[in-house]
Amino acid sequence: MPALEHILVVNAILFAIGAMGVLTRRNAVLILLSVELMLNAVSLNMVAFAVYGQVDFGNITGIVFAFFIIVIAAAEVALALGIVVRTFRNRATANVDEVNLLKW
Amino acid sequence: MEDGVTATQVVFWILAVVMLVSAIGVVTAGNIVYAALFFIAALAGVAGIYLILTVEFIALVQLLVYGSAVVILILFALMLTRARERPQALFGRSRPLGIAAALGLLAMLIGAIVATTWSTPETSAAIQPVGLQAIGDAIFTIWIVPFIIVGVLLSIALDGAIMLASPDEDDN
Repeated sequence: MPALEHILVVNAILFAIGAMGVLTRRNAVLILLSVELMLNAVSLNMVAFAVYGQVDFGNITGIVFAFFIIVIAAAEVALALGIVVRTFRNRATANVDEVNLLKW
Repeated sequence: MEDGVTATQVVFWILAVVMLVSAIGVVTAGNIVYAALFFIAALAGVAGIYLILTVEFIALVQLLVYGSAVVILILFALMLTRARERPQALFGRSRPLGIAAALGLLAMLIGAIVATTWSTPETSAAIQPVGLQAIGDAIFTIWIVPFIIVGVLLSIALDGAIMLASPDEDDN
């Protein structure tokens, strides 16, 4: 098994890459993809803690967490894509910096 | 612990490198369809790491839900929202700032991980594979109420997505 630290570092890098995508992309769908990368990093972290900590803590709650994160992510993707499609129909753009109707 | 580099560790690092390179492809690709394809590779890498961590159930759910359903939804949204008139800049004006912020976040996270002492088990034999039955027991006994709530939440969210995306009666 790889050491816990190595898994955590890999997940931190994945999370930072996702954050970079959220901060640099303009297209709403690509921002959503980056958010999914961040969610994946977090649920991988949950599973790593659960698998490595079950001897010490005697439960596998982290795995249940990862399962719930996947379900929530599916709901979130469906809703966000519905919003993106609706925005595109109304404003003819999927770029987040051009959707400034609520900007003061 | 230090019993040399095992085959599992080699496979882990190969998967990690594939996953991270694909993730960089997702956030830097110049073509949005390529970004979606890189995303599939990154998800497959995550599923492989789940397999290494001996949780086959989560790896399967990952491939079924993310690798197929979410990716298909995202590809449809990409195709439905393509503006054909003019080539689109894919990156915002604040790109250098975003990269700097992400690097700062990474430095903070890695600093915190390195500074913490983790209680890693002495031998890899101490890590038990997590069986499917244990996961099922946990979900359907301790976590049954959150499980039901998340099911209701999922169906509400999907209904809401259909409501949002469907045309109004007075649209045209």
